[in-house]
Amino acid sequence: MVSKLSIVAVGLSLGACAAPHKQGEPRDAELGAIQPLAEGEQGFALRCGKVFTLNDADDVFSPGLVVVRGSKVDYAGPVIALPAGYELVDAPELWATPGLIDLHSHIQTGGWGDINDMVLAMNPEYRTSPTIVPANRDIQRACSAGVTTLFGIPGSGTNNSGFGVLYKTRCSGSYEGCVLADPGGMKVAQAYNPERRGDLGATRTGMAWTIEDALQRAQAANAAGRDDKVLANLQKVVTGELPVLIHTAGSDAVHTTIEMWGERYPDTRPVLSHGCFDGWKVAPYAARIGIPVNLGPRTFDWRQSEGEWVGTPERYAKAGANLITVNTDAPVMPQEELFLQSTMGARYGADSYLMLKACTVNPAKSFGIDDKVGSLQPGRHADIVLWHGDPLDPRASVESVWIEGKLEYDRVRDRQRF
Amino acid sequence: MKSWIDRRSLSFLAFSACMGFALPSFASPSAAQEGEKKEEAKADDKKKEEKKDEWFAVLNGDVFTGTGAVLRGATVLSKNGVIEAVGHEVEVPTEAKTLDATGLRVYPGLVAINSAGLFGATGGDFADSVDPYNQRMTLALASGITTAGQSNVALKLKRRDIKGVVLRERYLATLSFTNSNPQGKREMFERFDRAARYLRDYRDWEEKKRDNKDLKEPAASGVDSTVRSILEGRVLARFNASNREDLLEIARLAQRFGFRPVIDGCIEGWTVADELGRAGAYAVITPRDRRDKEEQLVRDGGSSIENAAILHRSGVQVCVIPSTTGVDLGGIAGRDILHLPIEAGFAVRGGLTDQAALEAITIVPARLLGVSHRVGSLEKGKDCDLIVLDGDVMHYQSLVQFTVVEGKLVYDKSQELFYAHIRPRPSTQLAPEERKDKGEAEETPKEGSEAKPEEAPKEGDGEKPADPPKDPPKDG
Amino acid sequence: MTILTTLLALAPVLTGPVDPSGGLVAIKVGRAETVSHGPIDHAVILVDNGKIVEIGADLPVARGIPVIDRPEWVVMPGLVSCYTRLGVESRAGQEFNPEVSPTPELNPRHPDYKEVLEAGVTTLGLYPPGTGVPGHASALRPKGKTVADMVVDEDAYLKVYFRANSASKKLVRDAWTKVDEYDDKVKKAKEKWDKDNKSKGSDKKEGEAKPDDKKDDKKTFVPPEPDPKVKPFVQVRDGELGMLVSITQSADWAHWLDAIGERKFDYALRVVMTREIDMYEVTEEIGKRGLRMVMEPQITLVPGTMRQRNLAMEFAKAGAKIAFKPRNDTVQDHVAWRRHVGEIVGAGLEREAALRGLTLEPAGVLGLDKQLGSLDKGKTANLLFLSGDPLEPTTNVEAVMLDGEFVFGEVKE
Repeated sequence: MVSKLSIVAVGLSLGACAAPHKQGEPRDAELGAIQPLAEGEQGFALRCGKVFTLNDADDVFSPGLVVVRGSKVDYAGPVIALPAGYELVDAPELWATPGLIDLHSHIQTGGWGDINDMVLAMNPEYRTSPTIVPANRDIQRACSAGVTTLFGIPGSGTNNSGFGVLYKTRCSGSYEGCVLADPGGMKVAQAYNPERRGDLGATRTGMAWTIEDALQRAQAANAAGRDDKVLANLQKVVTGELPVLIHTAGSDAVHTTIEMWGERYPDTRPVLSHGCFDGWKVAPYAARIGIPVNLGPRTFDWRQSEGEWVGTPERYAKAGANLITVNTDAPVMPQEELFLQSTMGARYGADSYLMLKACTVNPAKSFGIDDKVGSLQPGRHADIVLWHGDPLDPRASVESVWIEGKLEYDRVRDRQRF
Repeated sequence: MKSWIDRRSLSFLAFSACMGFALPSFASPSAAQEGEKKEEAKADDKKKEEKKDEWFAVLNGDVFTGTGAVLRGATVLSKNGVIEAVGHEVEVPTEAKTLDATGLRVYPGLVAINSAGLFGATGGDFADSVDPYNQRMTLALASGITTAGQSNVALKLKRRDIKGVVLRERYLATLSFTNSNPQGKREMFERFDRAARYLRDYRDWEEKKRDNKDLKEPAASGVDSTVRSILEGRVLARFNASNREDLLEIARLAQRFGFRPVIDGCIEGWTVADELGRAGAYAVITPRDRRDKEEQLVRDGGSSIENAAILHRSGVQVCVIPSTTGVDLGGIAGRDILHLPIEAGFAVRGGLTDQAALEAITIVPARLLGVSHRVGSLEKGKDCDLIVLDGDVMHYQSLVQFTVVEGKLVYDKSQELFYAHIRPRPSTQLAPEERKDKGEAEETPKEGSEAKPEEAPKEGDGEKPADPPKDPPKDG
Repeated sequence: MTILTTLLALAPVLTGPVDPSGGLVAIKVGRAETVSHGPIDHAVILVDNGKIVEIGADLPVARGIPVIDRPEWVVMPGLVSCYTRLGVESRAGQEFNPEVSPTPELNPRHPDYKEVLEAGVTTLGLYPPGTGVPGHASALRPKGKTVADMVVDEDAYLKVYFRANSASKKLVRDAWTKVDEYDDKVKKAKEKWDKDNKSKGSDKKEGEAKPDDKKDDKKTFVPPEPDPKVKPFVQVRDGELGMLVSITQSADWAHWLDAIGERKFDYALRVVMTREIDMYEVTEEIGKRGLRMVMEPQITLVPGTMRQRNLAMEFAKAGAKIAFKPRNDTVQDHVAWRRHVGEIVGAGLEREAALRGLTLEPAGVLGLDKQLGSLDKGKTANLLFLSGDPLEPTTNVEAVMLDGEFVFGEVKE
């Protein structure tokens, strides 16, 4: 059914047979950019049917070449001559994309545990990182479905249970080997969950005040130049040094979130997460303020519609929302089905390429880590996925996944996990 | 009449006796169905006398019959709800209502082995309580499902019509045969044993009474009627089992007594696929079912995305069903009955062929519900239940454009609220008067044009990858 | 302010003797909403002996007839609330009790009756509660010292509670089977009677073909009395009793049609207007039959969504006759009833249909549309006098006339 991946070690120039595809003419800077490997340096190249770079020019090369040097991408473009020393993976039927990124995930613990303290409404002094169980089964499965970067965060049972960690889904990784940034950002639950607890406040108005009060305390601490143990990370949030992912949903809470974070704390870097139910009704506001939206696990709305199937990503896109991304809220949706969130966005009206961006480069941009992950460009982490076709097609399985240049999953070696 | 004392010979003879009638009985359901069909045909004849024939034709579509054949630009002709012809040189009566499927694909209506809520809040008897206006039924029709099982009844999704909804009742008999209940398991075995012996004695008696009319008929008391029906091939035995050990035991039971088991779940089926194949098993599978292997196990275990493919390769007939058998309007897409072909796509992901995946949501569930003589493929003499899509039925951007049940158009995407605004059909495919009405088509020309590259021919059957995301815009 | 007006012309229509003190009164108003034949400006209504004896524009009134002249008033027929349990305790069974009447539950002194009467409701249809076939409804006037005073008609309609399920369908099928059985019984009794008469040899000439020949009373065939549980259905079949079938969704309607099969009889539908209801699926089916539908003046939603539907408008357009009932069965909603119907008019229902829906159509459900429900000669003088347009929210009730008597309002000649 599917052709086996053929790995060929090549030491000779492939210039003769490599015809750059018209649609992706190489830029001058890229031509001849591939340097021979230095002594002791590792490197390999992927020649694929299609290479989705997810760069700002939206370059797609078919066929295309990705060259990895050490842990970084050295080249992504048309098939050009390859200096000696590189191992060539020749996969003319496969498509390459950057590893997928989910900004809303709870699988770091390998289950549901350890995500909220449930004592205080705000715990800005906490971090998720101590709860990571590296290479747990969920992480391994995620990796084998092409998901390479996760923002592992606390739950939404309280307004804030601290700071999440950005980490890689390395199947062989130690804690240190996984972490991309700790703290990677803050998680806030604005509404549509934390208010259910009578003991921690029952109303949305109370939720809004609790959060804002904390932000003001952090601002005051900054103004006073005070070093506050509890508020230290929150102080970085109010200055925009750290991004913040805000659990919010429904047109009321989404509105509140945009108004509070986008307008009244313009220095912060908020990402609106969920945005579901009838949140799409305020999509134009989100678009006007330019706040990134991280949609899921619900990707459609029915009850608040007039009887038409409202694809949430489609509505935000139509409104002109900036940086649309999708999430699984794993394990609400299995982490390995991150791509399917994009698939469903595309099924119900959004553009399929936009939906590919929504799980690759857009989350990276939303969190300001696009200089490291989210696209296949020189200097970026070599987080690469080889697919048997369209990544959004459930029928297209993953052949291989590299994280920072290391082959973390291989269908033949590890057996198909998903 | 012989008396059986030796257990070994008993079981041997029981086995051979079963083989004697049970193996041909594999075919007997269809024979029974054949009989029903004739009766229906007779009823149809009567109808014909009373009223004019109703003709309906789907023209010029790429017809995926479900049997493996693909007829490009072919016609499906229905007469009084039954397929009269499928092919290229079909003469369509002038009075026939027609549907132009140029550039579109025609598939048999999908069959969901299990469903919930598609027929309304029914109070038991479907014929007296089906809600044919139920929105969930409409949504299911809009997702391509035209036949579904619920509460062990095979039902037709007949929108706005309460007649002829029940196709067949109680064709599946659910049994339990699991190691977690050794007592129940032993009793079940005994029931099979007793019923097999009874049937053998009965046949024996039938044979001998020709010579000896006074011979007493063997007593049927104590014989489990369900098990007897299973052994006679009148119903299918259905088990819910996912553990390797249970699956093995069921396979052995089935082989010993000569029946074909239907196994729901079957999560670890891939680890014992050969045994299940030899037992002639059917597997009802959710490809995305997840179960972690126990850490201490050395052998294979747990779930595998390759389950459907491995089972199919071993001769197991695979039926696919999503994890949620109802319609989930809560906002999470891709896991409920409306996404039956998406679920089948995950079986393809694990290596199942496109054709087997299509069968897993059409003819195989039709067989399991005992209605394959009426639905599950586009063949002459079967009900004209078909769906028309703008691409491969398993492609994520294909949406059902038309649904036809028994020769009547019951769903037209462009005419109903649900999905009309999503990738409206290019106006060339619409009749002029329809083009006038369609506000949506004009409102979103941008989407329409964007969608075009995506609607570029989704490659033929069995071919994968199907459809690339559109090529991105170049340089601003 | 009111003056005894003397006009030259005699009303040629007045056939009875004029008796100014004995009830004959002329009422002149700015406008009359006749309901049956459109509005009449400068209307004069002559009422006598509890009935409307004449109505027209600028009718001349004979000398000596008392005249009530209120040019600022609008008059319409008294409202008819044909489906109510006002003033009685709720009590629901699940039985087949077609013979039951709710009348014995009545408490004439219950304050609700006075309140709704003062809101302009002059006729009530009190229905028996419960599922299945709980009994038949009574038509009442909301005023009287005794139960007998209140009752207008004890056999208003037979109530059938129908849902799409086997039990409901069986109930209906069995009821009609019993009617068939009764018909058989009558037929057999008739045959026997014929035979007996023949054998006596006295009426040979009349023959079997003329069973109804009433030459000799003793010889007239008297059919056996049906069982009390069967009788109401026989009456429905013979058009002597109406039937009101309560349903909640399109599926109920489809199964109802299935349950009654080919039988022909008159019935109205009671559609319970829940917030989300899918009755729009069968608008055409019901409309083309011209059925009366008892429903609340309510905008509903397509199930599961926020899409609004004005079912009253849709059904009226399709040909059904809308009989409104108050949104809730309370005094307040009887008072707000006209306003609520006004909202449905605001959402697209034709004004004419709305006014009929408050009066003539519910009267039809009660089988009283020949007697009341519109401003026509010969009908009961149940009149509602208003300060303005009946469907305007600011319009007040000025006076109410029941059976030709003012029961509310300061009315001077």
